[in-house]
Amino acid sequence: MMLIVSLGASFTSCKSSKKAAKKKAAMELAEKTAKAKTDLLAIINDDGRMTLEEKEFKLATIKRMNLEDQEVKDLIVQAEEVLARERAAVERKKEEERMQREKEARERELREGGQFRAINQSLDAVASASDVASANARIREAMAAFAGDDVPVLILISSDGDIKDYDRPTTIRKYLEFIKDQKKSPNKVLNAVLDNNGKIKELELIKK
Amino acid sequence: MIFSAGNTWAQDDISPSRKQAIDSLALEKVRDLSKYISIVGNKDTPWSEANRVIERTLELFADGALMGVSSLSKEEVNYYGVREYLERLMALNYDKVNISWYNIQYISDLERQPDGRYVGVITIYQRFEGTTEEGLRYVDVTKKDVTVYVERKTTQISGRIIGFWDVLLGDIRVSETKPG
Repeated sequence: MMLIVSLGASFTSCKSSKKAAKKKAAMELAEKTAKAKTDLLAIINDDGRMTLEEKEFKLATIKRMNLEDQEVKDLIVQAEEVLARERAAVERKKEEERMQREKEARERELREGGQFRAINQSLDAVASASDVASANARIREAMAAFAGDDVPVLILISSDGDIKDYDRPTTIRKYLEFIKDQKKSPNKVLNAVLDNNGKIKELELIKK
Repeated sequence: MIFSAGNTWAQDDISPSRKQAIDSLALEKVRDLSKYISIVGNKDTPWSEANRVIERTLELFADGALMGVSSLSKEEVNYYGVREYLERLMALNYDKVNISWYNIQYISDLERQPDGRYVGVITIYQRFEGTTEEGLRYVDVTKKDVTVYVERKTTQISGRIIGFWDVLLGDIRVSETKPG
């Protein structure tokens, strides 16, 4: 009789602890679900307080939970869309920055000599000649690279989007005489157009 | 071939960076003139060089521009055409001539006129020093106001239309002359 009572008590206790465990699991699931919803809403409505990486990490964590709640599933879809847009914007910005860096590097290369180093050096040599005779000699040397005295020279003074502003166009002969007279070589080659003989037939300069 | 842009330059609003570049361009032209004047005035400049520089100098000016000339010995200021002024400068009866310009700055910013040109005034100080063969020195400092005209024009180069700013200097008026 005692044994039966004891077994009966034990069965009742096992049943109630299972029930408690189930209840605990349900509570934990409810908590997880509530937390997941809060986190997902925070991701969707974030105004810049979290980094994209943080948000992506949080979303991945929530997805790993495999929650069956339909609202969570819907919020996951929304969060994925939001993060995809943000990721695309970040990638676009990175690409723009990369292109800007490349453009600046190209412009720097042009400004600092680069492929036009020889022409820039010949311009500087005219400006720094010690007297008229040696300046004239440097002009003769420089002229060898050009198709003729009247090769047009454009000096870019400003560039604002598509709008380019130049100084009054001049010719290479006049420009070389200008730097001889002024004893300064304020511009560098931005572009040079060559003819079939490899001589410069158009020169574009920019302020150093 | 150069065309005046006239109505094709419809934008009244020029961005600050473009405006700054145009302001600097006009100031540079005045600095260039300063150098040319010192070359023409310098007795060490070969005659052919001085004449070549005169031609370059004339390209800086608008047609009919006048240059004011003053001296400490006379009240009045004489005005000459630019070529005449430069030729007189070349022929000055000194053994040595040294001319320098400094404090070159705008006193009246470039402002758009009804005809589309921009007009401003740049002031400069000129120090003139002439020394005779006998060693007598004449030195004066003159404050001069240079009117500058800036106009947007276009030209065609290798089939492309190029927009440029044409800076031309107008009259140079003397506003003050003092011993140096």
